[in-house]
Amino acid sequence: MRHGLCRRTRLWHGRAAANNAAPPHWTMTPTELHFLLGKVAQQDRAAFAELYRATAAKLYGIILRIVRRREVADEVLQEVYVRIWQSAHLYDAGKGSVIAWLAVMARNRALDQVRSGRHFIAADDDAILDIADDGRSALEILEASEDVARLKACLDRLEPERRALVVSAYLDGASREALAERVGAPVGTIKTWLHRSLKQLKDCLAT
Amino acid sequence: MTDGDDIEMLAAEYALGTLDGAERASVSARRLREPALDRAITAWELRLAPLSAAVPPVPPPPGLLERLAPRLGGAKGVAETGAVVALQRRVRRWQAASVAAMALAASLLVVIGVREVERQPQGRFVAVFHKDDETPSFVMAIDIDKREVTVRPVAAPRQPERTYQLWIAAEPLGSRPRSLGLISDATYTTTKIGLPIDRAQLQMATFGVSVEPPGGSPTGVPTGPALHAKLIRVAP
Repeated sequence: MRHGLCRRTRLWHGRAAANNAAPPHWTMTPTELHFLLGKVAQQDRAAFAELYRATAAKLYGIILRIVRRREVADEVLQEVYVRIWQSAHLYDAGKGSVIAWLAVMARNRALDQVRSGRHFIAADDDAILDIADDGRSALEILEASEDVARLKACLDRLEPERRALVVSAYLDGASREALAERVGAPVGTIKTWLHRSLKQLKDCLAT
Repeated sequence: MTDGDDIEMLAAEYALGTLDGAERASVSARRLREPALDRAITAWELRLAPLSAAVPPVPPPPGLLERLAPRLGGAKGVAETGAVVALQRRVRRWQAASVAAMALAASLLVVIGVREVERQPQGRFVAVFHKDDETPSFVMAIDIDKREVTVRPVAAPRQPERTYQLWIAAEPLGSRPRSLGLISDATYTTTKIGLPIDRAQLQMATFGVSVEPPGGSPTGVPTGPALHAKLIRVAP
């Protein structure tokens, strides 16, 4: 299982390559997304469809990575967009970009789904997935900002194994138990490592 | 460890996603009534959010947008009534439920919970009807399983020769809001939903409170000024 962890870590480090990729047709600037979300808050269905087209692939990627099954991801994605429709007015531009806000909503819903135990994820379920790893994302390019660079620099200061745990937990939705199984350490140890890593991250980001 | 440390690490692990199902559900419920915890979670979500840039986008299957469209609130049928359209505009302000209103709604739920100790924790929702951006007029709790609605006036002034009426608007019920009955002056009014609407549709429904002549709306649809609200889930 270490293999899986490493593969994903490489993926994280490999994202710089995406910066050179040609942006797909649905490229939108943060300002445009903000404008669209404002229209969605006014229950503008056309704006909602446009927001969906601009962001669904990003959110679907995040959800699928965590729930691992397309039929589950399909349902979660729909729930997330229904929620976006209902709560667009709650978006606070002071608390991050639109895409970050949407991504957090998608992640939280996907995590609720896998942690609810409603469906079983095999320890090595990757075969089910056929994730297109082309890294061509306009949003990624937009997000290759100061925030990304800062977080990456701080992650790089963690010990490699602990960094891999944090990254895998975040991207794959791995539970403490799953991480323990992967690295062959007790769950309590994982919890301690995670707490130390998170504190270290927080301190690093605060400087 | 101090409480602050506990909250900080709980928030961090919630945002990271490593809590187990029970812990996660508990934190989800707590953040609704603990502003400090909620702020800590939001801060952690922001700190970690740039990591999402590492996930390659995957196009969802075609047709998903069309499939989810009927699940959007403010269904086409409802939007046809001019009065409701006007209300929907106001609803958006009211829907911005303040933390105080959420806490109030949660406290209502506690009271109901005490009154009905036997009830299952599943399918509980609250809705807060705002008079303006800050003042909630009514709070409503709904038990989706029992199809039971309980309304409590909070800051609703008693008006002579006027009564408050509770309404539901949802796609399967047609284009007009349907009455759920009058709200008495008592602390709590509980009513059963006997309309043909299933659990999922109920969760998506819009609820309204309107000011009507004594005895309720003479026309079967809201006639006076109204407040609307959508359901907010409070228990997993």
